[in-house]
Amino acid sequence: MAVTSQELRPGADLGGTLTARQSWSRLPAWLRRVIILAVAVAVWELYVKAAHVSHLVFASPYAVARSFVSGWLDGQIAGATGVTLEALAIGMAIGIGSAIVFTVLATWTTVGQDALMMFTSMLNPLPSIAILPLAIIWFGLNEKALVFVVANAVVWPIAINVTTGFRTVNTTLLMVGKNLGLRGWRLVRDVLLPAALPYIISGVKVAWAFAWRTIIASELVFGTAGGSGGLGYFINKSQYFLNIPDVFAGLVTIAVIGIIVEVGFNMLERRTVIRWGMQATS
Amino acid sequence: MKNQQSDVSSRSQPDVKAKEDGPVTSSAPLLSVEHVKISYRLKNTLVQAVDDATFTVMPEEKVMLIGPSGCGKSTILKAVAGFIEPVSGRISFAGSTNITPGPDRAVVFQEFDQLFPWRTVLDNVVYPLRVTGRSKPEAMAQATTFIEMVGLGPARTRFPHQLSGGMKQRVAIARALALGPPMLLMDEPFGSLDAITRTRLQGDLNRLAERAKVALLFVTHSIDEALLLGHRVVVLQGAPSTVAAVVDVRDINGPDDPHYRSIRRSLEDLLGAPGEEEPDGGN
Repeated sequence: MAVTSQELRPGADLGGTLTARQSWSRLPAWLRRVIILAVAVAVWELYVKAAHVSHLVFASPYAVARSFVSGWLDGQIAGATGVTLEALAIGMAIGIGSAIVFTVLATWTTVGQDALMMFTSMLNPLPSIAILPLAIIWFGLNEKALVFVVANAVVWPIAINVTTGFRTVNTTLLMVGKNLGLRGWRLVRDVLLPAALPYIISGVKVAWAFAWRTIIASELVFGTAGGSGGLGYFINKSQYFLNIPDVFAGLVTIAVIGIIVEVGFNMLERRTVIRWGMQATS
Repeated sequence: MKNQQSDVSSRSQPDVKAKEDGPVTSSAPLLSVEHVKISYRLKNTLVQAVDDATFTVMPEEKVMLIGPSGCGKSTILKAVAGFIEPVSGRISFAGSTNITPGPDRAVVFQEFDQLFPWRTVLDNVVYPLRVTGRSKPEAMAQATTFIEMVGLGPARTRFPHQLSGGMKQRVAIARALALGPPMLLMDEPFGSLDAITRTRLQGDLNRLAERAKVALLFVTHSIDEALLLGHRVVVLQGAPSTVAAVVDVRDINGPDDPHYRSIRRSLEDLLGAPGEEEPDGGN
């Protein structure tokens, strides 16, 4: 674990005099990122100041930061975020639940596997947002339609990944489990699930990425139609009132949540599949 | 020595003196395999692997299953382990003919990935003990003892991917022995190791099996390995295979033994191939 990333880093100092490039790569990764971010924000601020862009079109970082803070303090952004995350959570829960059912069917029956393969190859390439118009007709202009498109975005990548994970579990490990007298649920819980974990995690990661994009896009559509109250709606409404800093503040919120979840997945992987040397190589 | 081949399963060699540490000869066989015929399905074709296999293993006896690649020796082992059901014939273990997988016949495989990658070395040995009903302190103590015994005490908190192939096989052996089974089934456990590691592990296994008083059914395609580890060698021939001979080798003490060369040659003749063979794919 403590393999020195210092030594392996490209451009690391190998004992000569420090060039600018070398001293840059000697900085810790987080500091390098902070510096780049600071420079980018500074350029942005200078551009807005120097070019006299209309504040009806573009906002300065300062204005965005102010909107972001006040939006969170007065509960506007926080509320919108809550609405979005709630629909997302329900949609993902339903999607994951259905994926488990499909996976069980596909793992234990050949018909189930064939059906799953067919539906996945048909529905997985279809951006889930494309079925929103149908969802609106079926469920109306409400949260149910959102939940439906999110569940649809989630179910296929998870079902296909977990099924692949189960079907490719090392047969030797299964025999070891059976040799210990493990049967049924015990074998699934103690051998099959952990052995398929790399696939399960990567399935959930893909599903999250699909779901997050799908729900924001759906809310933007809803915004025009006038329902909901999530982040997409917040951005749409702010744009309607030409409150450009709020639009940016909404975008920043979406990006930050995406980054936080990504970091969460990375931590999970470091503690599990990477630590155990079993991360999937695809 | 050549005519020491008895037809089947009787280890009745009047001229062979039983060693002191040999199996208890008076008791009934621990395992008996009688006229077992095995086929298995491989991608919709029925593969006939074993035509007629008959042999016994006494308690604490070390029996080697030897034969050319693809002769079904691993298949016989899997049938004894309960992973495959024979088409006909009878397997009885410890008086029971109901053969399902169970820890009383602990298996050590050839593949390095037989350890649970998500468990540390210690947990890999503790977990089977817990599953088979030992209390936590008991399992910990037992596991620690056996990990020390295979010389992996310092590595006990490591994960399998941080171990070499030889270390992984040691853990697998420790895991199997810690269960205290009456019989150990080993499917070419050293087949994927380099020569030096293999020799060292063969020595370790001899020592450990002796101490654990465990019977051994060991699949190999190496005559030298069979002579080094075994009390008796069951020679398989043909595909689907039959038992060509059962040779008693317990009085052979190593390559320096005067009988070593002659018995080795007779085994080579039976196998129809001189010297070592290429490792097969584990089947």
